[in-house]
Amino acid sequence: MTVEETIGTGQPAGTTAPAGTGANRTDARAGGQSTLLYNAERFALPAILILVLIFFSLWGKTGNLFATSINFQEVGSDYVYIGMLALASLLPLVCGEFDFSVGSNAGFTQIVVATAMARFHVPLPFAIMLAIAFGAAIGLGNGNTVARVGVNSLIVTLGTSGVLLGVVEWYTGAQSINNGISSKLLSFGSENTLGIPDMVFLLLGVALIVYYVIQHTPYGRYLTSVGSNARAARLVGLRVDRLKLSAFVLAGALAGLAGVLLVAKNGSATPEAGNVTDTLQALAACYLGATSIRPGRFNVLGAMLAVYFIGFSVSGLAIAGVQSWISQVFSGAALFIAVVLSTVIGRRRAGIG
Amino acid sequence: MEDPGVGASDAHPHAGDSASSVAPGASAPAFALRVAHVSKNFPGTRALDDVSVEVIGGTIHCLLGANGSGKSSLIKILAGVYQADPGGTVTVGSHTLDADRTSPAWARSVGLHFVHQDLAIFTSLSVAENLAIGRGFPTNPLTKAVRWRALGRHARTVLERFHVDVDPKRLVGDLRPAGRTMVAIARALQDQSDASEGVLILDEPTVALPAVEVDVLFDALKRYAKAGQTIVYVTHRLEEVTRIADRVTVLRDGQVAATLESVEATKERLVELIVGRALDHEAATSSTLGGEDLVLEVSELSGGPLRGVSFGLRRGEVLGIAGLVGSGRTSILTTLFGLQPPAFGTVKLNGEIVSFSSIDAAMDAGFGFVPEDRSESAFVTMSLKENLSAAEVSKYWRGMRMRERAEATDARQSIVDFSIKAVSERQPFATLSGGNQQKAIVARWLRRQPKILLLDEPTQGVDVEARAEIYRLVREAVASGTSVLVVTADLEELARVSDRVVVLTQGRISGEVRGPEIDPSRLTELVLSAAPDSRGPQLEASRP
Repeated sequence: MTVEETIGTGQPAGTTAPAGTGANRTDARAGGQSTLLYNAERFALPAILILVLIFFSLWGKTGNLFATSINFQEVGSDYVYIGMLALASLLPLVCGEFDFSVGSNAGFTQIVVATAMARFHVPLPFAIMLAIAFGAAIGLGNGNTVARVGVNSLIVTLGTSGVLLGVVEWYTGAQSINNGISSKLLSFGSENTLGIPDMVFLLLGVALIVYYVIQHTPYGRYLTSVGSNARAARLVGLRVDRLKLSAFVLAGALAGLAGVLLVAKNGSATPEAGNVTDTLQALAACYLGATSIRPGRFNVLGAMLAVYFIGFSVSGLAIAGVQSWISQVFSGAALFIAVVLSTVIGRRRAGIG
Repeated sequence: MEDPGVGASDAHPHAGDSASSVAPGASAPAFALRVAHVSKNFPGTRALDDVSVEVIGGTIHCLLGANGSGKSSLIKILAGVYQADPGGTVTVGSHTLDADRTSPAWARSVGLHFVHQDLAIFTSLSVAENLAIGRGFPTNPLTKAVRWRALGRHARTVLERFHVDVDPKRLVGDLRPAGRTMVAIARALQDQSDASEGVLILDEPTVALPAVEVDVLFDALKRYAKAGQTIVYVTHRLEEVTRIADRVTVLRDGQVAATLESVEATKERLVELIVGRALDHEAATSSTLGGEDLVLEVSELSGGPLRGVSFGLRRGEVLGIAGLVGSGRTSILTTLFGLQPPAFGTVKLNGEIVSFSSIDAAMDAGFGFVPEDRSESAFVTMSLKENLSAAEVSKYWRGMRMRERAEATDARQSIVDFSIKAVSERQPFATLSGGNQQKAIVARWLRRQPKILLLDEPTQGVDVEARAEIYRLVREAVASGTSVLVVTADLEELARVSDRVVVLTQGRISGEVRGPEIDPSRLTELVLSAAPDSRGPQLEASRP
């Protein structure tokens, strides 16, 4: 139902575009496009998120359980991990590449951080750094293959993803690592400050940094330029392969951090956690986020809103009694719709639609 | 068999001597193709003006002319892509049609076969598959599966007929360039039952071919013609005309300047016809530049198509580079900009030898480059502001953040300075017109006040008004000390904007024109007549 609402607000914007292009001033086409429409587009996603919150709070079937601080805290901390993966996916997306391995990367690095503590008694800070370093190394492998060899990033990272999943199963023997995990990490995963889960603060902090990097540094502008037109980027002096490589390394590092969060959230490292489904949810959030705030561009705020739009919708539906498969269906459908919407918006922005 | 010929197998047991009806020079020549009184007007231009051409069967007939002379319009009318204005007629064999009613289906039905410059072949498919595409694969009537053996048989027959010595199973991408062209020709002609039946029209097939490959192709074409095939060969290369043509028609400004027999078609005569006046036999002047105002000195630059290019560029000078496609004109710019390292030669900037390992090094040294294709310079999904500042983003990075307000102010200033028509600096770049996009891209570099601006076809796909404005902007920059190297195929434009023009022929400078001597027809003459394989004395003179 909320999915239908998404289409409902997205489509009028898409279909009225040709009328706007009929204006006499051809140069002014999109610039002169009504700012009202543009703003409706920008704030559609936050508006729908609020509608979802209101709906499940008021609906008799879900209201009692949905509109509680416990539920909000739970959804909040549950989706920090997906949020982190979305931030990881964002950097390659901005420069026009896919990283399909972020979920499996996190699945791998959760084993790294847990094993480091449980088997080798590495202190927590070093274990975390180790996980991030492993994640970054995986990103380096991806980035090198994509940027220097020139292989399609989707294929490379799909391959990486498969290898990582296999390695995890082999190393763990399909057994979880439950003991020997730092209690500090566990309490970080479960405690609240001022009623807000600690993990949410971490996500907020990292999101701010990624936002700053993409939006307010030349590096972010360079990544965006590469994503817009790599050949033109090269001709204004940008080192396109280095930029792409760096985006994959950063994505890997953030996925490594997401692996740590996975352990913090679950209290253990389980081989099943951290997989391609998580990647899909993260990508869905990025694409959905690209339809709002700065329509047509991948942006941090949009992606974060999309993560929690998915999170709260799935939670509300679960409370209403829908089976757990809804989570996958919902994020799959969200990805589908988001990609369609951003294609329509992108095409209109390019003056084709 | 030892007298190879097209379609020689059934109709002409002795292809060489039996083609009496199509032999050139016979008393009453049979015209395989006749174009009579064809005109074509486009809004604002007269592309063809009462053009009549008669092509004798079994001959190679060249169609020659400079850019904009009307060659391609004529071919497109024959192909049915355009229709001519009412009044003219086209006759192929015994079929006559009003020239305003041509269509692709008609062209196919009367046997006009076209092979265009880009060949339209599929490099990742085999020769046999390429031959079948467009014609249809032989299939099993029941399962609709391709009958590969039948396909191979057909391919072998066709290849044998056209003397293309390749295995039908090979990928076309693995063939030599001439082989690909011949496969394309074989594909076009495969359903002709008789060589004297249709007309093969080749549109500049040798543009992308190296010299050796051209020889292979020409041998094949001569063989086909001998077997009775009528060939219309469109080109702007004079030496090709003297090598293969039986007759040649020269077009100039949409009119037929003359139709000559091959014996009359000397190079000088052809150039005169193309340019429209008698040749002045003075060699193009050239001398080494001297003086302290020399900003750039290029000597013996080689690599890629370049084979020892030397020239100098003064401060505040616009130097044009004229040359045919494949002459290396773009490579000069890309090599200077650090896109590919030169194999040999030196570049001196303000008297000091420089070599750039990367583009940003060239940019730091004061170079700017506007590439030929806007898809290599425009960030269409980004804003006008971001496009304007793309070559100097770091300038706005102060105090740990991007100074977007300063960037916006500069962008608004540029919009005014460079007369870009836009609603605001935040406007998506894709929504600007082509001319305004190009102005913004030129502005992107001029904002950096480059020492040397490299322009490759800066006004391609741009309307007349924007074209004038772009050159006005370039002129303003030149007045403040920027030096410009400009490449364009439009010689009229080149003549108008350049202080001096060097002519590039097959990777070498073959001539130079300056000041009052620069005019479009003089440039056309130099570009077309430069000897391709001899080292011109001009080049020797310009060597240090």
